[in-house]
Amino acid sequence: MSLLQQIKNKVRSKSIHVTFVDVGSCNGCDIEVLACLAPRYDIEQYGIYVHNNPREADILLVMGVMTPQWEDKLRILWNKIPDPKVAIAVGNCPISGCVFNRRESYVDPPVSKHIPIAAEVPGCPPRPTEILNAILSLAPVVFRDYEEKMK
Amino acid sequence: MNLSVIWYLREFLSFEWVHKFLFVKTAPLTTPPYFRDYPLLTGKECTHCLACMMICPVPGGIEVLMTREDACHLPVTQSRPPGSDTWNPVIYPGHCIRCGLCVEVCPEGVLMSGRVIEFQFIDNTAFTSTFQLEVDHTLCMRCGNCSIACPVNKEVDPALGGGAPPSSMESVMLVTGGELKILNEDKCTGCKTCETACPNMAIRVVRQVEGIHQEDEEE
Repeated sequence: MSLLQQIKNKVRSKSIHVTFVDVGSCNGCDIEVLACLAPRYDIEQYGIYVHNNPREADILLVMGVMTPQWEDKLRILWNKIPDPKVAIAVGNCPISGCVFNRRESYVDPPVSKHIPIAAEVPGCPPRPTEILNAILSLAPVVFRDYEEKMK
Repeated sequence: MNLSVIWYLREFLSFEWVHKFLFVKTAPLTTPPYFRDYPLLTGKECTHCLACMMICPVPGGIEVLMTREDACHLPVTQSRPPGSDTWNPVIYPGHCIRCGLCVEVCPEGVLMSGRVIEFQFIDNTAFTSTFQLEVDHTLCMRCGNCSIACPVNKEVDPALGGGAPPSSMESVMLVTGGELKILNEDKCTGCKTCETACPNMAIRVVRQVEGIHQEDEEE
């Protein structure tokens, strides 16, 4: 492994850029993600930065049940994220639809039908520590030696 | 002279302060023991009453399955000899919302989660449930399938299934006077046989759960 790759691995492990998208959730998971930003959980001490722009992001946190309005837009948003990228499903809704997945509802879970999901954080809502652990454990696996894997 | 410029410089240029400023992290946060997490099995015997499945507010959150004794990771007891199959509730994390209702409703205390059982004991609360039968009279065509299929009716009035006219008014439901009448709702056991026997989906069994607070006996 080249020295450049080693430097890249080191830098990427300390600088994880995250964006989040709400595809029709009840706002519970969004608030848990915001709780990660607050001093108690303090996501930035691990080098995780939250953006509202998908072009700046590496990791996409998807929350919500996939309402019909999002079906074409989520794929567009996913394509805007530069490689290397992963998506994490946060909460029960993008995994199974949870309480909204009933007869005669218009939701279309799971989100993995629309974009590739690398990790799932179950819970309604999940604890901020669970979200944090998912990001921290997934990021090195995905971003480590990215250029080597591409060859 | 604690507030002088020199004091500030000495304080904030010290090695400990700079080291702390650059490298300190909050302590790794752990889940507190009282957190109402996904329910775990306590090891008590499940009687397959399905109260947990009926109260679960989420589709597919909990299921009571026949599992092998070694698969449920519980100590071997008299009711659970090695190699035997027992009923056990299984929680599905992608569906479960950790509300703790299944823990609270279980009459045997098979599940545990956080301090749910402890608080239930302190507050002296419980659940009662009744079954209501709802008939949509615009859909009902008075065929009487429900009253013949009902297992309670079969015990009360065995001749009803053979086409005999109703002999007692103790049945759960009967077609009398050109209309399906619900006579004894309190006898309904919630088996939903009438729902499946109905060709028009006109009859519905509704389970109504009520949280009750039992008063202390001393007062």
